[in-house]
Amino acid sequence: MELSVTQENLSRALSTVGRVASGKTQLPILSNILLQTDGSQLLVAATNLEIASTLHVGAKIISPGSITVPARLVSEFVSSLPKATVTLKVENDHLLVSSGKFTSRINGVSAEEFPELPTINEDEAIRYTLNPGDFKQALNQTIITASNDATRPILTGIYWHSYEGALYLAGTDGYRLSERRLVETDSEVAAIVPASTLQEVLRSMHDDISEVEVLFDESQVRFRAEGIEITSRLIDGNFPDYRQLIPATSEVSAKIDRSEFMRIVKVSGLFARESGGSVTVTVDEDAGSLALHSIASELGENTSEASADIRSSGQVTLNSRYLAEALNVIEGSMVEFRFSGKISPCVMSELGENPNYIHIIMPLKS
Amino acid sequence: MQQNVWQSVLGELELTIPKPSFDTFLKDTEILSQTHDEITIGVRNVFIRNTVEKRYHEQIKQLLVKNGLTAPKITYVQKPSQGKKTVINRETTTPLNRTPISSSAVDDLLSSPSSAPTVHTNTLNPRYTFSNFIVGSSNDLAYSACQAVAANPGVKYNPLFLYGGVGLGKTHLMQAVGNEIAKTQPDSRILYISTETFVQDFLDSIRFKKKGFSTKYRNVDVLIIDDMQFISGKEKTQEEFFHTFNALHQNNKQIIISSDKPPKSIPTLTERLRSRFEWGMAIDIQLPDYEMRCAIVEAKASLSGVQLDNPTIEYLATNIKTNVRELEGALNQLLAYAEMRGVAPDASIAEGLIGSARQSRPQHVTPKQVIDKTARYFSLDSTEICSAKRDKHIVFPRQIAMYLLRSELHLSFPKIAQELGRKDHTTAIHSVEKIEKASKLDTILREQLSEIRERLYT
Repeated sequence: MELSVTQENLSRALSTVGRVASGKTQLPILSNILLQTDGSQLLVAATNLEIASTLHVGAKIISPGSITVPARLVSEFVSSLPKATVTLKVENDHLLVSSGKFTSRINGVSAEEFPELPTINEDEAIRYTLNPGDFKQALNQTIITASNDATRPILTGIYWHSYEGALYLAGTDGYRLSERRLVETDSEVAAIVPASTLQEVLRSMHDDISEVEVLFDESQVRFRAEGIEITSRLIDGNFPDYRQLIPATSEVSAKIDRSEFMRIVKVSGLFARESGGSVTVTVDEDAGSLALHSIASELGENTSEASADIRSSGQVTLNSRYLAEALNVIEGSMVEFRFSGKISPCVMSELGENPNYIHIIMPLKS
Repeated sequence: MQQNVWQSVLGELELTIPKPSFDTFLKDTEILSQTHDEITIGVRNVFIRNTVEKRYHEQIKQLLVKNGLTAPKITYVQKPSQGKKTVINRETTTPLNRTPISSSAVDDLLSSPSSAPTVHTNTLNPRYTFSNFIVGSSNDLAYSACQAVAANPGVKYNPLFLYGGVGLGKTHLMQAVGNEIAKTQPDSRILYISTETFVQDFLDSIRFKKKGFSTKYRNVDVLIIDDMQFISGKEKTQEEFFHTFNALHQNNKQIIISSDKPPKSIPTLTERLRSRFEWGMAIDIQLPDYEMRCAIVEAKASLSGVQLDNPTIEYLATNIKTNVRELEGALNQLLAYAEMRGVAPDASIAEGLIGSARQSRPQHVTPKQVIDKTARYFSLDSTEICSAKRDKHIVFPRQIAMYLLRSELHLSFPKIAQELGRKDHTTAIHSVEKIEKASKLDTILREQLSEIRERLYT
């Protein structure tokens, strides 16, 4: 193999793909990156046998071939090179990387040892084309509620499914739950995508992409945007029927300015550190206010208040971190916060008819 | 049959494929089904399937043919996951010092009829149940305590600490509790792990800054930890376990621990853990007595569909005394041998097999060995034990030696006295009676006796 490629393109590809290559595995080749000529392009790929990330880079191919080299070393070396043309050449399981006055000879392993890259039958796969802005927002909104409890693998994923003509994303860790409606769709899908995959997808998508394609087959999902492809296994199993847990109506409701709500959550969170984030929300209809109260027995206590449009009065105790994280990802300048009593789920959403994002938090026992 | 073929296919593949690749791609594969025109091989995930299909297919095909399985088509599928259904947690968030809400209102709201299948992934082996545990005088206390715990987890005997030698059924009992709770309260989360796993998880959580360590261990309803003695000497791990223990105990979650020694005798166990282990109920499981060993042999044989005659049962029970696992092993050996030869298993076959595999033990222990081992256990010289000295630190080991000569070698009292250089056999009678009586009350003495016994027979 011999080819030349610009330093910028190669470096970007190596750093994007290289994150997937993992050093913590019993199969040493998984910490390598695969470099392979593919027609007139250079294919850069890595996998950890759960996710595979591939990227095509425009290159001037002199002779075809392939090799795998340690991901860390090659991406750090290439990123330190000056912006110029880089020449890659394979000689007996060594990769010669040269650019201007720099040359390296990196010991590699034959590409034949590298695991097969996953394939998806594109004609039969269920396909969605998404707006990158909505896509990223939906991921950010749902990933935060995914569990990292490995004893319940299903909850470590985000549930992509069609329901009443729309594609929904949902995630829960058993303490909170989020649901986002993404696009209208006719096709039927129900798949649990590992949250770790989605995090990787988020990190790999840079800002100037124009659309994201998502393809599902029975056991895999592929995300594609501007030459980057991330393919992942799906989590096997049935996602719990979470819709019945969303209360349709609540006794108490507060419509409140989002940034003001965030500010008082942040303030009262300071005093809730030693109680595990516990803050008490008091909604008072007569005063027209929503107040947060938190106590740090050694340090003092805090009451923060914001005016809100209130229906009925009540009190509930929540984890302030959950509140803050929810407020962070809800869209719009006004949010609705509703609950019924101290032990029923609290619902947060953007203000308005039929919001596309719902976030549910279970109260703490006070 | 087909699994055996697959094992030999794997065995040959292992020789030609580098170990890391073999472990990653092929180790946990299996034949899922086999018909005349298709063999289905299960692999762990879709990524691995691709590689196995493209890279190892030819080799697998050839080896299958070589091992006598021919089919025009071999397909590879993802193995179905086991029991990975789950439901929304019915607990609310639990920060430190807080108990989750478990009022029925939330239960009703959060659990929904259609999400009813509530099998949580657990690591329990379903084979271990109360019904196939054989109860005798040496383990009936442990058995009833475990049943009480299974009926009311977290209420009675928390923590439950089981200790005893290898192969006496600690793991069986603990898993039986887990399985029973899983059956009666399908929603509860039960975590069965070995101490080694706990240590490894803890190290990983530090080394790779992995999250989820405390969630994994503190969000369970029943925590079962096997072989606690391995935590000794690992101070940070002990500290972490201490916190886990407290978090669970405070929330009335059941903790079950097993070890080969009582908490007191685990070396370098920090004081606060020791006192906690002794807090609930610590029960030892003793070596099974003769009648119980007979019952075990009979029950296990009938599980395999074989009726043994009494002499055979008695032979096995007499000759293998120290360990139920060994007893089962000998029985399996006997049954396998009889099946292969197409004969009925009887005492003479058993004698041939066991005689060849392991010499029946007591005949190989001499009175001198008993005295030597006892002396060495108490850091004495055997001449001291046999001397006329009456110092307390010598008298006690001497009495133990007498007791062991009686209980293990069934020597007569005059002979015992003679072995230890006494003239009067009444000393021997007195000593044996004294130790016998004391061993019923004194757990430390019992420990000592069983340790000396272990040394005798190894």
